[in-house]
Amino acid sequence: MKVTLKVFRYNPETDQRPRYDIFHLEADPNDRVLDLLEKVKAEHDGSLAYRRSCAHGVCGSDGMRINGRNRLACKTLVKDVGTTIVVEPMLGLPVQKDLIVDMEPFFEAYRKVMPWFINNDPPPEKERLQTPEERARFDDTTKCILCACCTTSCPVFWADGSYFGPAAIVNAHRFIFDSRDQAAAERLSILAQEEGVWRCRTSFNCTEACPREIQITKAIAEVKRAIITGRLD
Amino acid sequence: MASRHPALEGYTRYRAVGQLAFLLHRITGLGILLFLVIHIIDTSFVYFAPELYDEAIQIYRSIPFMIGEIFLVWSVFYHGFNGIRIIIFDLWKPEWWEKDIAVKSVYWTLALSILAWLPAAYIMGRAIIENHFMGG
Repeated sequence: MKVTLKVFRYNPETDQRPRYDIFHLEADPNDRVLDLLEKVKAEHDGSLAYRRSCAHGVCGSDGMRINGRNRLACKTLVKDVGTTIVVEPMLGLPVQKDLIVDMEPFFEAYRKVMPWFINNDPPPEKERLQTPEERARFDDTTKCILCACCTTSCPVFWADGSYFGPAAIVNAHRFIFDSRDQAAAERLSILAQEEGVWRCRTSFNCTEACPREIQITKAIAEVKRAIITGRLD
Repeated sequence: MASRHPALEGYTRYRAVGQLAFLLHRITGLGILLFLVIHIIDTSFVYFAPELYDEAIQIYRSIPFMIGEIFLVWSVFYHGFNGIRIIIFDLWKPEWWEKDIAVKSVYWTLALSILAWLPAAYIMGRAIIENHFMGG
């Protein structure tokens, strides 16, 4: 099938304003959008810049806006998005070049919620046990691959980049509701700050955008409830 | 462009169902606020400038204003129903913020607001026709 690929191009060092380059390509319906970008880079324009690593939906490098919504290019099939495909960088983070955005503000917010396991008790001989039910409590939020598709789909984040954003809250949720972790109160107090969960307006763009199908708005609602009630059930 | 006005670009070009409710809630809210401000001003004319009050009422009876009022009624219904949806989800049923339920709830809210609005729109539309086109 013939596909028209319209790609956002911008180099802040040399271009005054962004432009869109159009490529007419031959593609298989089961090709992924990433395959099209690889084809453009290999055969048409080697200067096209985008991130990719594993190319199998695990590393989270190739998050971008495809036909107006955030997706991973490596998980998006041509047959699912049509024959005219517009590819643009994620919104709300500065464009470094073409489809590559500066992820530092995203990771800065991520680090603020202390996304690591905290337990000051002496480690047991084997491992810190928990029941299958306790493990299931935060299972959904362990799936995050930090692709930023959720945070950069958030209308609140677009308007004000100081909001922690859905991804940071999801990763806080993963530890807050982990029965083995001891820093839930500290994380909840961080998320109760001005830039935290109360900025969420539940537009659930994040949930729609998540390539791992994490129920993000639900996780944020659980964190809000934990802040209000002080309970982690 | 993309890097300079992300909010503007996102609100106008990002495609998601949740975004539809987010935007409609804000647009209808601003519309209601605008009407409320106008209404407070024209009512204040009764005290501050009685000669302007009748003029203001005449403007209310013009066709564009009456059509605007029909949409104002929908704005009130939509803003109210959507607000109730968010309150129910946030306070009582956070588990409903799951993707499929949340997406469906947006469409249901839209349908409900239109259903509630139709009788009012019919009555108000009939009033426009009677007052302006049938010599009523």
